[in-house]
Amino acid sequence: MKTEELIAALAADTTPRPAPARRMARALPPALLVSGLALVTLWHTRPDLAEVLTSPTAYKTLVPALLALAALWLAKGLSRPEARATAQRALMGGLLAGLAALLVYALATTSLAEIAEILDTRDFSNCLISVPALAALPLAGTLWALRAGAPRSPGWTGAAAGLVAGGSAAAIYSLHCPHDPLMYFFPAYGTAMAIVTVAGALIGRRLLRW
Amino acid sequence: MNTSQDPSWEHLMRAANRGDQRAYGRLLIAITPVVRGIVRARGGTLGTQSGEDIVQEVLLTIHLKRQTWHEDAPLRPWLYAVTRHKVIDAFRARGKRIEIPVDEIAEVLPAPAGPDPFEAQDMERVIDQLDPRAAQIVRAIGIDGDSAAETGARLGMTEGAVRVALHRALKSVARLRERMIE
Repeated sequence: MKTEELIAALAADTTPRPAPARRMARALPPALLVSGLALVTLWHTRPDLAEVLTSPTAYKTLVPALLALAALWLAKGLSRPEARATAQRALMGGLLAGLAALLVYALATTSLAEIAEILDTRDFSNCLISVPALAALPLAGTLWALRAGAPRSPGWTGAAAGLVAGGSAAAIYSLHCPHDPLMYFFPAYGTAMAIVTVAGALIGRRLLRW
Repeated sequence: MNTSQDPSWEHLMRAANRGDQRAYGRLLIAITPVVRGIVRARGGTLGTQSGEDIVQEVLLTIHLKRQTWHEDAPLRPWLYAVTRHKVIDAFRARGKRIEIPVDEIAEVLPAPAGPDPFEAQDMERVIDQLDPRAAQIVRAIGIDGDSAAETGARLGMTEGAVRVALHRALKSVARLRERMIE
């Protein structure tokens, strides 16, 4: 086939293709809704939820939610082939650096014995399973939306998708989880979100190629 | 303003996004020499036919990924990024490694204009693998230069159905190509 013939065929195909952002708006809210409903019906919210959400303990919900939002912005930026996404990367870097500083603070102010006691609960492994489970559908939706993109780096874009899903799932799960110390948050929520992020990167590396 | 005489690529692409076939065809014709220039500059060892295969692959990708261009952004950086990505990918698939520094692309001259003497082979082979009706539609519109309406009248389909079928066929072509070179 000659190139000009291909061009004629391409030009005749005026069916609009949705951009990643539009697909995201279509896929993500229902996926999050299903995960939220699953939490309410299968996990149940903690009894003192209203109290907790108006106290500093709300950080357990807000930090993952903030990470998810920043990751969403980053994923949208990375899905454009020419974009450098400098601001998005800077924001994500800043957030992660802030969390690292918070982790150092938590480690410095909590003794090993206290940490061992905080983590001595079956809820810990429960968290590591529940968050990825709640993240599965949002991850699928985000990756599906990003398939419409053209990311230069499918792996990193997949990782951002993983953090979108992992962050929002962690925020949802926090409405159930009764453990509030920082040294519970980092080992449990941090690891759970990292698992989903790595999963996103591994899937994205294949799925987001174009 | 010289938009009526020589509309910018951005202007053409925006019109294309609103369904303006002629503007889109014009844009694709305008960018092809640039794409060909990049492929030739990189793929001197490939031979013109393989080179033209890659040019067509890039054009198909530009088509299928055009929604990732933001209408308020300049088109050229986007175009270079897509071309660069696809050219590297195509060479890798053919077992060659190449590096294209981003800055260098801007300096590549378009290939000389003129009629396209190259018949690329890959695309034809892929179209053969489509289901017969889809292949017929792609050929009618591409090779015979029929409109969607004419093709529809001949095949007993509505114009809309032809467009949908064409869109699906082009997506399948991209998928099949991917599989063919993997």
